[in-house]
Amino acid sequence: MSESLDDFRARARSWLQENVPEHGSPLEGPESRDYALAWQKRQFEGGWAGLTWPAAYGGKDLSVLQQIVWFEEYARAKAPSTHNALFVGMNHAGPTLIACGSDAQKAFHLPKIMKGEVIWCQGFSEPNAGSDLASLRTKGVVDGDELVVNGQKIWSSYADIGDYQELLIRTDPDSSRHHGLSWVICDMKTPGITVRPIKTMAGPAKYAEVFYDNVRISLSNIVGGLNNGWKTAMATLGFERGTASLALQISLGLRVEELIAANTDAVTGETLMDLRADAAALRAMSYQFAIKSETGPVGSEGSMIRLYFAELAKRVASASIDIFGIAAPDVLAEHGLGFDYFDSYSETIAGGTAEIQRNIIAERVLGLPRGSR
Amino acid sequence: MDFDFSEDQAAILSGLEQLISSLNIEAPKDAVFSAYSQALDNELTEGGFLDITQQEGFGLLDGALIVERLARLPVSVEAAASVLIAPAFLEDTTRRPVAILQGKLTKPARFLPMAKTLLVDTDDDLLRIEIPEGAVEEVETLFAYPYGCLKNPKALSSVSLGAGQLAKFRRRWRIAIAVEAAGLMQSALDLVLEHVKTRQQFGRPIGSFQAIQHRLVMAAELGQAVRWLAFKAAWSDDEGDAAIAATFAQDSTPKFVTDLHQFCGAMGLTLEFPLHHWTYRLRALLGELGGSSGQAIAAADAVWGSKNV
Repeated sequence: MSESLDDFRARARSWLQENVPEHGSPLEGPESRDYALAWQKRQFEGGWAGLTWPAAYGGKDLSVLQQIVWFEEYARAKAPSTHNALFVGMNHAGPTLIACGSDAQKAFHLPKIMKGEVIWCQGFSEPNAGSDLASLRTKGVVDGDELVVNGQKIWSSYADIGDYQELLIRTDPDSSRHHGLSWVICDMKTPGITVRPIKTMAGPAKYAEVFYDNVRISLSNIVGGLNNGWKTAMATLGFERGTASLALQISLGLRVEELIAANTDAVTGETLMDLRADAAALRAMSYQFAIKSETGPVGSEGSMIRLYFAELAKRVASASIDIFGIAAPDVLAEHGLGFDYFDSYSETIAGGTAEIQRNIIAERVLGLPRGSR
Repeated sequence: MDFDFSEDQAAILSGLEQLISSLNIEAPKDAVFSAYSQALDNELTEGGFLDITQQEGFGLLDGALIVERLARLPVSVEAAASVLIAPAFLEDTTRRPVAILQGKLTKPARFLPMAKTLLVDTDDDLLRIEIPEGAVEEVETLFAYPYGCLKNPKALSSVSLGAGQLAKFRRRWRIAIAVEAAGLMQSALDLVLEHVKTRQQFGRPIGSFQAIQHRLVMAAELGQAVRWLAFKAAWSDDEGDAAIAATFAQDSTPKFVTDLHQFCGAMGLTLEFPLHHWTYRLRALLGELGGSSGQAIAAADAVWGSKNV
């Protein structure tokens, strides 16, 4: 007889109580890598990694509802933020490989991600290809059974501590825009790669610039087919725009409850009531979307959730400082609300800016005519 | 009504421009924490810019013009309290920089690490405290201003200036918040306008997209509104004007800062792009003196006498 959701919840709660690390993750560098990998390894050994991933590759093949329950308990236990060095592997690369990868790619990479053996980073944006991702120029030339890659990527989170990168490059020199691209698994230890970390206004070096000088990558590392990378990349971004932030969304709702408990000001109280309503709405939208996604492909509604979450996260971060005051220990601490606040600005930029998300929603969800770009 | 600078004001601002350009002030490249310019502080003191309101023929508005201009710089300097607040309460205005604080003496205050005088609104008294060497512990924040805490407040002697001074102290503080915010907003906006004119995506400057144009126009409107409300309050030195100017400045800041960073994309989040030099400080001002809800209540009291309703 399969385990009931209540029993599953109780088991999750009990395990988290025993295993959640006492201290938060270092914010950058090799220490943040070690912390993330150790936490992932512990989850794997406890049977809590890759809950909805295929059993054939070490996953648990559980339902989305069970995943939701796990995230609820995860947030309640104040477990390490899922927006850490594991994020790309768990929420981008892993799901993309499951959807578009070959059996060999899945068999090699998925267990490594789940077991906490590797860190993945993203290599999509370029200095002149941000919102306009399709204008990217980093190129890969087929040479025998390899691609020779030259160019530059930027805003690559965790590239300085990453083992593998999901790299989007132009492999058809005669192509333009969305055509002729390939999504490639890039081993970050390959000769010819230089990484320059970039410090953010929140303090840590959250991003990096990556330079490729005749970097040779096996053709067997292409995911979803040569020159078919846009489709694979949209699958990747679809995961980020859908349920990837579920645990963070639930945490956000709990944070609002904490703020309500700490608040003593009537005017701020009104703001908090708005935030509480928004958090509840977001949670309902996300659950509905997640459950729908289990039974078949979903549309661009994920962009609505991503946008709603991003803007709410910024408002909650701002309200947090208003309530505790700018110089409160909770604001100034290493993992404090000050860091959260400045870091939250990236929410409406990473994974497609709020403006791009609005374009997608307007055209693909509301059915409005496409505007000129 | 005359909105043009008087000859004297134009001369002062011109002198200030010369002083600023002589110092070749540049945005610090890697600063997260405070970027205080002691060199600028020294020059301003020597040039007599910080005691402008005590000079014959000049007033609070002239001081506000100086404070607003200085806030536009990518470095911080303690000017607002010295120019707009301290002269009304201190006999010796040379004991500066001046830090200001509301509430408990253990709270961190802006400019306290280098302050020689601290003015404290304890809710039922206004205190003057002379800060000896070594009495302050610096507090690292992400908010660009130098912050510090008194190590042992009980060991310091304070002089009561009287509860009767509190209304004026808060009024001047509110004017200072609004004036400083106006300068910070102006520089942040100027930087972003330049960025959206040159940054290209989809084959055109991103500033040519209406979605961005409209929000930048709204940001410019907010900036102008903050500026003129601040100057009006400095001109009238009126309770209601001061509270409304501070409320509007603090209320406008979150939306203003959010949009400006948004239009600079990921680059705007880095220390390599100077926008944070202004937005850090705007966020810090947002929390001063009880934040916008505190100012709004003061405005209602001053304008409508809400306490009596």
